[in-house]
Amino acid sequence: MTTATSTLEASSSTVFGVEVPQPPQHGKPGGIMRHLNFGTGLLTGIVFAVAAGWITSALSSSSATNDTFAPTEPEYIYLAGLIGWVIGFMLGMGAFVGPLRWVTGRDLTHADAEYMAGKDLGIRRYFKFTTDHKVVGIQYLVVVLGILGLGGLLAMLIRTELGATWTEVFSPTFYNTIIGTHGIAMVIGMIVVMSGPVGNFIVPMMIGARDMAFPRLNALSLWLLVAAVVCLISSMFVGGIQDGWSVYYPLAAQAPPGMLGYQLTIIVFAVSTGIASVNLMTTILTMRAKGMTWSRTPILVFGVFAASLMGLYAFPFYQYSQILALTDRIWDTVFFNPVQGGSVWLYENLFWLLGHPEVYVILIPSMAVALEIMPVFLRRPLFSFNFAVAGIVGVVALSGLVWAHHMYMTGWAPAVNYPFMLSTEMISIPVGFLVLVAIGTFWRATVWTRLPLMAIYAVVFNKMIGGVTGVYLSDVPADQYFHGSMFVVAHFHYMLMGAGLFGAMGGIAFYFPKMTGRILDERIGSIGLWTAFAGFQITFGSMFVAGLQGQPRRVLQFDDMFNISNWISTIGAYVIGIGMLIFLAAIIYSWRSGEVASSNPWGSKSLEWQTPTPVPLENFAVLPVVTERPYNYGVPDPYEAELEAEDGDRTSDDRERAGVS
Amino acid sequence: MTLTSPPPDSSEAPEAPTNRPPSMHRARNWMRRPYARSIMILTVVIGFILLPLCWLIVAAMNQSGAPASPIMEDIETTVFVFTLVSIPITAFVFAVLVYSLLGWKHVSGDEVPADDSPAIRTNTVGVLIWTVASSLLAMFLVVWGLMELASITANSYGTVSADEQPGGEKALIVNVTGQQWVWTFEYPQHDGLTSDILYLPKDRAVYFNVTSKDVLHNFWAVELGVKIDANPGAITQTGVTPNKAGTFNVRCAELCGLHHAYMQTKIQVLEPTAFDSWVRESGGGRTS
Ligand code: HEM
Ligand SMILES: [Cu+2]
Ligand SMILES: [Cu+2]
Repeated sequence: MTTATSTLEASSSTVFGVEVPQPPQHGKPGGIMRHLNFGTGLLTGIVFAVAAGWITSALSSSSATNDTFAPTEPEYIYLAGLIGWVIGFMLGMGAFVGPLRWVTGRDLTHADAEYMAGKDLGIRRYFKFTTDHKVVGIQYLVVVLGILGLGGLLAMLIRTELGATWTEVFSPTFYNTIIGTHGIAMVIGMIVVMSGPVGNFIVPMMIGARDMAFPRLNALSLWLLVAAVVCLISSMFVGGIQDGWSVYYPLAAQAPPGMLGYQLTIIVFAVSTGIASVNLMTTILTMRAKGMTWSRTPILVFGVFAASLMGLYAFPFYQYSQILALTDRIWDTVFFNPVQGGSVWLYENLFWLLGHPEVYVILIPSMAVALEIMPVFLRRPLFSFNFAVAGIVGVVALSGLVWAHHMYMTGWAPAVNYPFMLSTEMISIPVGFLVLVAIGTFWRATVWTRLPLMAIYAVVFNKMIGGVTGVYLSDVPADQYFHGSMFVVAHFHYMLMGAGLFGAMGGIAFYFPKMTGRILDERIGSIGLWTAFAGFQITFGSMFVAGLQGQPRRVLQFDDMFNISNWISTIGAYVIGIGMLIFLAAIIYSWRSGEVASSNPWGSKSLEWQTPTPVPLENFAVLPVVTERPYNYGVPDPYEAELEAEDGDRTSDDRERAGVS
Repeated sequence: MTLTSPPPDSSEAPEAPTNRPPSMHRARNWMRRPYARSIMILTVVIGFILLPLCWLIVAAMNQSGAPASPIMEDIETTVFVFTLVSIPITAFVFAVLVYSLLGWKHVSGDEVPADDSPAIRTNTVGVLIWTVASSLLAMFLVVWGLMELASITANSYGTVSADEQPGGEKALIVNVTGQQWVWTFEYPQHDGLTSDILYLPKDRAVYFNVTSKDVLHNFWAVELGVKIDANPGAITQTGVTPNKAGTFNVRCAELCGLHHAYMQTKIQVLEPTAFDSWVRESGGGRTS
């Protein structure tokens, strides 16, 4: 031990009672991170975007070719601007500070890490590259509400056009744009609606961990999502996404520059989900509390793990499809243009290799959160925990084997329709397991009628309708009528919105007290939920009818025979809109001035509710040890006692009869 | 509730000894429980309420004149059967929800309820019945679907060219071309006669070669139950035998740009003699 020769002396800190040697501390804890926040991110992002666009426009001599699909100069400028935006924004947020400091030999100290986790930063930590999983969870919640709000607004516009059957409210260009943007915004929003807020805020606490496995990656995934969403929004100002959320080739090749916005959104979003998935999976695999064996792990953890796993293998297909599409567009490669030897079917396969698993990425967390809520409000264990796990495993296993059911009518390979019909219909078996667990848990249970549980009734109801109509669509002959019609649209809204979004609303209501310290207002929340539910049945019930009558999807005008079902559907949509606004009002009102919640208002036995509210920086002062299975509520079943008594009687009877005495 | 409280219906008179297997005995006892009985009754009631859907769904599909071909008849039968077999299971799930919501005990308020519900962790019999029943149902749907698919594939002439079909020399060939945003129908057997309305003879096999000049379209002959993508650079093939004369619809079922909504036209299914005279009048020359 030499005496201190400089202020950059290697020190050590005490972390949870353990002496940990630290690299030298440079300046105040946090270093440059002290000066970086959302504002600097925006600023750097915009500066980089403008600079990149300007350089590109200066460099590109008018490279006009005769090819009609050839990119024009604005395309290059817009693309460069987008790339500049993403890099600049992440730089300005401080996403690269950690690695840069490591490379330059000034690795982060414990004090730096604590600063980055938002220690003593108060409200400011929500606007920074903060690593604490609870801050990231709240940030995700706000971002997701924003995305879903945008999607919802566009949905109202779509329905307005479809309801006004006597006129064209919007130009066809704008109408196609709002359909595509609504679709992709909702898909992105719903993919993160549970894994984002709940997966980040709750799951680490649920498994008894102090943070995620990779806290800085956690912040990275969130801010990449923000960067991606800005790309998506920007696309609306340069021609929009006019080709539906599936942007099939070769139509997408004709699209205005907005298509680049879509492609960059997907490329960045795929990185974000990839990082988030790896982070969640590592956390769940390695950081569960002592004694938390798999059968003592709550079902929501399985659900989030399953969604991450599916995202991890499915998203690369999507990302590649968009990278290839981008090079087709910018550098005249020929992956998808059939006239020059590419293949539209290649694109469709790549797209649906993501597209189908994606619906389970949306559904499974919502189903899992439903199963997490039920035991608490029905005061009993989950009916057949193992069956629920089996259901999730089955869905994950089959999810990658069914994508071509979206291509039955493409003429790609009629012979594979047989096996894909088989695998698709098989999925109804594991999904059925989840339904069984749900109704088994409702069976003979006294109901504590609180908002989170009430949402689950809506989920199971909608899920049944979505499931049954899904079986029609999985059947090739029936799909020959329904494919590309409004029937499909109604079906997937029952799944994604009816089951997915309503489940997420239940989940938000359930975890609201832990996340915000206040109870979500029961009355306002319920009014919102049930208004939206009623509107939902009207909207999509009559959309089923329009589909049965033969109305194609993605059309802004149609024959008079479809008028009535579309009018009803539009009225229903406004009712949904009102209901959702009321629910949003409940969230905002309760967050600001709702009833203050105790640390465990629902009397739950899960670990996340055993922490104090507000949850301290590292959740648990002493790491918990798990000794029992989850959902240990309930009293012995009187009927079982009766049966046992009966069995006992019978055996003694038998013995008597046999004369054994 | 505790262990000592009597089970709700233990007042039942003990059954006379029979040689029925104990499982039957248990099943009967189970059905006697008020809870189980109410749910069974509810299931039946809801099932009957849902039953009209089987016909309503088909009625909605028939609104513009379907079915006009054996394929569409197959499709409608399938939809009817699928609705029918999913009603019992849907009714059962809805019955559990409704009974739990309206028929069973509730507590409200902010306090965590003092009484827990019975801790049923699993029920082997219930789980087995569900698994077997749902697997059988899925198997039934798959087998039904595969058979119907084979049937409509046969009815649309599968991958066998029209000339090789039974009675092939009588089959009518139509080349369908989609382009933004119109359909063109060409009759190669009739000196390449073209039309933007699809004229078809009744009761005669028609064979479609479908392609596109620009982007993807989808050739949907609604009331005939025909649907196939029109891909640029490829020809997809399908077919149908219209069995009903009348006016029907072609609609594009794949987003194809600005005026996708307007990319529709009519189908005229004519009696064979009327079709022949249409061909002659439109200068189609030789009739086959
Ligand atoms: C306020 C509630 C909503 C209403 C009224 C609504 C309505 C619509 C309508 C009318 C369409 C266009 C149908 C067509 O012509 O093809 C559509 C498309 C779509 N919606 Fe929604 N929607 C709602 C919420 C959601 C939610 C929560 C999701 C969740 C993922 C979602 C996902 C989609 C997708 C993926 C498309 C397809 C877009 C495309 O065709 O490319 N929607 N929606
Ligand atoms: Cu799918
Ligand atoms: Cu079209």
